[in-house]
Amino acid sequence: MKDCLFFDANCKLGAGAAGEACLPDVSALLSEMDYYGVDRALIRHTNIIKGALTSNEKIAEFLCDDPQKRLCGTWCILPSQCDEIPAPELFFSQMKAARVGAITLSPFEHRYVPCRLTLGKILDAAAERKVPVLLDAFAGRWTELYAFMKEFPYLTCIYLESIGKWGSDRNLRPLLENYEGFHIDTAGYWVPEGIRDLAEKYGAERILYGSGSPRYNHGNGMLQLRHNGLNDNDFALIAGKNLERLLKGAEL
Amino acid sequence: MRTSIWEKPGSIAEAYWKQGHADFPVYDMHGHMGSHYAIYFKRCEPADVVAHIKRAGVKRLVFAHHDALWGGLRNEKVWEMCCQFPEHLRMYVAINPHFPETIKEDLAKFDQWAPFAVGLKFLADYHRVAVTDKAYEYALKFANERGIPILNHTWGGSGFDGGPIMLEVTQKYPRAKFFIGHCLYGDWDYASRVVNETPGNVWLELTAIPGERGIIEMLVEMVGSERILYGTDMPWFDEFQGIGGVLSAKITEDDMRNILYRNAESILGKNW
Repeated sequence: MKDCLFFDANCKLGAGAAGEACLPDVSALLSEMDYYGVDRALIRHTNIIKGALTSNEKIAEFLCDDPQKRLCGTWCILPSQCDEIPAPELFFSQMKAARVGAITLSPFEHRYVPCRLTLGKILDAAAERKVPVLLDAFAGRWTELYAFMKEFPYLTCIYLESIGKWGSDRNLRPLLENYEGFHIDTAGYWVPEGIRDLAEKYGAERILYGSGSPRYNHGNGMLQLRHNGLNDNDFALIAGKNLERLLKGAEL
Repeated sequence: MRTSIWEKPGSIAEAYWKQGHADFPVYDMHGHMGSHYAIYFKRCEPADVVAHIKRAGVKRLVFAHHDALWGGLRNEKVWEMCCQFPEHLRMYVAINPHFPETIKEDLAKFDQWAPFAVGLKFLADYHRVAVTDKAYEYALKFANERGIPILNHTWGGSGFDGGPIMLEVTQKYPRAKFFIGHCLYGDWDYASRVVNETPGNVWLELTAIPGERGIIEMLVEMVGSERILYGTDMPWFDEFQGIGGVLSAKITEDDMRNILYRNAESILGKNW
């Protein structure tokens, strides 16, 4: 098995404010990853919705507890006009220094409209530099997501669902068809052999293994992926190589 | 890194990882068939569904057809589907409380549909009639007299098939075998009560739960793995995801075997 890299694209770490399920620290997460054989994970903070800047700091601290560098961080952005985050150039260099490889946003909790007026500066720079943008905040919010993608059609982005369990093909497929940089993760996408169907239609490069931890365990989706009927190359891409490629491709 | 569950020599997880099946048959006790208004299914007709479950080592899928539940397809047609795949398909006779004459007519044929019809299916949340309503009485008495299973869609907090309702009905009909679909999702207290406060006629059925971190472990702790059945809502959820969810739970291999096949065999036998 270990000839295949598993790199989790959908993983939250740290305690939440509302008593939600959580993995509190790096050692708890690494222990879970070891139990199931997951090599690496892109982490974002459970409590992003309760504070972008504080959760960014926490993610940086978590990464200091991971000397083997199995984890890569995600930071949350905010509208540029309030000067809460620095200009893109500086923000990205800070990300690089902290081993943070992707960004996310939480516009509905942080109370702003996710559009060009608010996020144009940072997201245009992200698109140009191919910095992956996690779209976890849009899970199940299709109208808002469609509007967002129209505003930022050239983003390298990863839609993370893992809230519902009913396959969302009627909404996912138009986005995969129309936006080249739109990717999805597998957490909660439980459609029988559906991962293979999407890979055949849109390319395995567009799909990333995600656990949806801590709500979901890492293992169920691994077995699903293993036996989805993918060829070895596509399996390896989805299991980990795609995320590795996206993170390496970011010009921070 | 430690050795992962998929690499432990001789384990069920290793067998599934390497071969896609283990040394036992799996019984999927919660399935459907046919298209559904709320989702795109590529594989929802019998031939495709059977091909999928066979890949995962599932010996039997017990299902209720979506259209039979809505009232647009008679159960007899579902029986005909089962006849085409006698090794793999079994049916729950779909009970729609808004069609009382259909219920009587179909249950009169129940014995003719042997061995394919193994029980009844209630979908009270969708039919918007509480399981305690008189509209279900005929079917409940039928199941109680014969000691056959009723797979109930259940959901925590529902006014139609939530915890208090299911506790009442499972106590009132002690010979009927109640499969609590989705384990009263979210209302784990009542999931425990419907098993522990009834005379051995209730099993929790797992659809939508495998994969959720820690939930199967909690249910096993609360009611014992002998009271839990495996199911997927096929064609909604992938068999390998569901089985993977059971194998990923931090329970013993004995517990896994109970859930995946032993309990179904203890209820229905080895050749049903």
